[in-house]
Amino acid sequence: MVPPLKPRTGGTAGALAVLATLFLAATNFAEAALGAAPGPPQAETDDCLSCHGDQGLAAGKPGPGSRSLFVDGQAFADSVHGRDLRCTDCHPGMAEVPHPPRPHRTEAERRAGSREACKACHFENYRQSFDSVHQRVLARGDVHAPSCVDCHGSHTTVPAAQPRSAISRTCAACHRGISDAYANSVHGRALLETENADVPVCTDCHRGHAIADPRVENWLLRTPELCSGCHADPARMSRYGLSTAVSQTYLADFHGMTASLSRGKGEEAPRITALCIDCHGVHDITKVKDPASPVLKANLVKTCRKCHEGATESFPAAWLSHYEPSWQKAPLVHGVKVFYGLFIPFVIGGLALQILLHLWRVVVNR
Amino acid sequence: MSAPGSTARAAETAGGDFVRFSPRQRLEHALVMSLFVVLAVTGFPQKFHNSGWAQGVVDLLGGLERVRFLHRAAGFLFALLAATHVAMLIRDVASGRARLSMVPTRKDFQDAITTLRYYLGVSDLQARFDRFDYRQKFEYWGLLLGGVVMVATGLLLYFPVAVASFLPGELIPAAKVAHSNEGLMAFLVVIVWHIYNAHLSPEAFPFDRSIFTGRISRERMKHEHPLELVGSQRSGEEAVGTPSAQDEEHRSREAQAPDG
Repeated sequence: MVPPLKPRTGGTAGALAVLATLFLAATNFAEAALGAAPGPPQAETDDCLSCHGDQGLAAGKPGPGSRSLFVDGQAFADSVHGRDLRCTDCHPGMAEVPHPPRPHRTEAERRAGSREACKACHFENYRQSFDSVHQRVLARGDVHAPSCVDCHGSHTTVPAAQPRSAISRTCAACHRGISDAYANSVHGRALLETENADVPVCTDCHRGHAIADPRVENWLLRTPELCSGCHADPARMSRYGLSTAVSQTYLADFHGMTASLSRGKGEEAPRITALCIDCHGVHDITKVKDPASPVLKANLVKTCRKCHEGATESFPAAWLSHYEPSWQKAPLVHGVKVFYGLFIPFVIGGLALQILLHLWRVVVNR
Repeated sequence: MSAPGSTARAAETAGGDFVRFSPRQRLEHALVMSLFVVLAVTGFPQKFHNSGWAQGVVDLLGGLERVRFLHRAAGFLFALLAATHVAMLIRDVASGRARLSMVPTRKDFQDAITTLRYYLGVSDLQARFDRFDYRQKFEYWGLLLGGVVMVATGLLLYFPVAVASFLPGELIPAAKVAHSNEGLMAFLVVIVWHIYNAHLSPEAFPFDRSIFTGRISRERMKHEHPLELVGSQRSGEEAVGTPSAQDEEHRSREAQAPDG
């Protein structure tokens, strides 16, 4: 093994790195001379770790800009890739020591390029990541935009949804405010306190790789469909005593009709029509019976006023609160419905009958 | 209801046609017909928004915003047309220029029964109609009253916040159900009843042109509005320009006709 390097200690770092690579070259040469085959992954990993196992190994000038090159051998061995992948599967060309120069010019390029390592095995997710809102940020040259390894880890990759709450915690690393709101929501609490398998984690709504910009119109218009994925599922809703009619009653109403007939544009749209999230909230969503719920009867008029300026106390009654009209709930609406249910067949049937009788008479007269 | 001086007058044509509808009535029909089409085309995609064709129609017209604009504009014009119609009618009736020939009478109910008995073959007696028969009155009042329902519920839906400030909020979803169903019924009446009577009926096939030309033939007058024909002969001063030969014929028919 190599003696420990102290690359961050100042001007000697470069010289030490050269020494290290020379040493590696020498051992590689020795291995080749001894006729050693590439061997199992472990052998290569051990080789690399002889340098990269050093916690102080870093690239770039010392200081905040420097990037650690340390790899925790044990963590890698425990990761999903530890058993089957050798270092050069993800770091092609790095078997050569000294390492050849890297093609990227900027940190953003390096981060964007790091995806290429995952491409060969995870092609579909790789492809989808180009449709992600993160890709747009990355393409702008923003070094904070996440690439594969920022969410999945690089040498410490574990299965993504074990436990499911890990997903929400991953996003929280950057999306702090949203994560806090989610953690206090009815969904977030169930997830974080009891690992409830029914509630959505971030990626259930936002998707994992092709993460769309949630502020654009055509994504917003999909929210009723998104919520219905669970809220129209009888098995899931019955566990909590929730109605599955919420989606269909929404769609039957003016707002739902507007949403389903609107074609979304790929632009930001502050307000199209009331979508699920406009009344119930998004990440901070609560139980409808929660005193703070924006759809609780006492709070409803305030919620209506978000769009309907000047709405009075009687205005929320215009919305049937996801109930199907019946003699108990909304008798007036139900009455009108029943009336036309009888009146239309009566009128049209009567007219059609008279037409048929007329035709019959014409035929008889001939 | 009749427009000014709209009791049938003999026309100047050599064929002996009668003028049945005034230019204003013909214009009113053309306008209500066009507005009806616009309202149906822009309204039904909203009623049947779950159907695939609804999205197609909305896209074709340039999006929901425009569909709603067209629907509201056409609805506004329809309301204006109805209001003008009623206002002119009141004026004409008040000044004695029109008679209330569209008001349903006891005779209309008798005519309906007579007609049904005839259709069923119970009796060979056929009802004899005046200027408007009971079916035409039914359609007229259906359009006018249905129009009132559509305009009223349409306004409720257009100004929900204002309406709910002085009326119960539940009126708004009730208005939506009424607007949607009344519109469907109007459409079905037109498709089933009006299209039959104006186009498909053996008596009208292929096309009863009188609401467009304003004229009706003597033959059809005799057959469809015999009492009106008689009436026009009685009030001789209205039968301006009737050739005397035809006048004679009318008088002789009138003598034969049983008193309606």
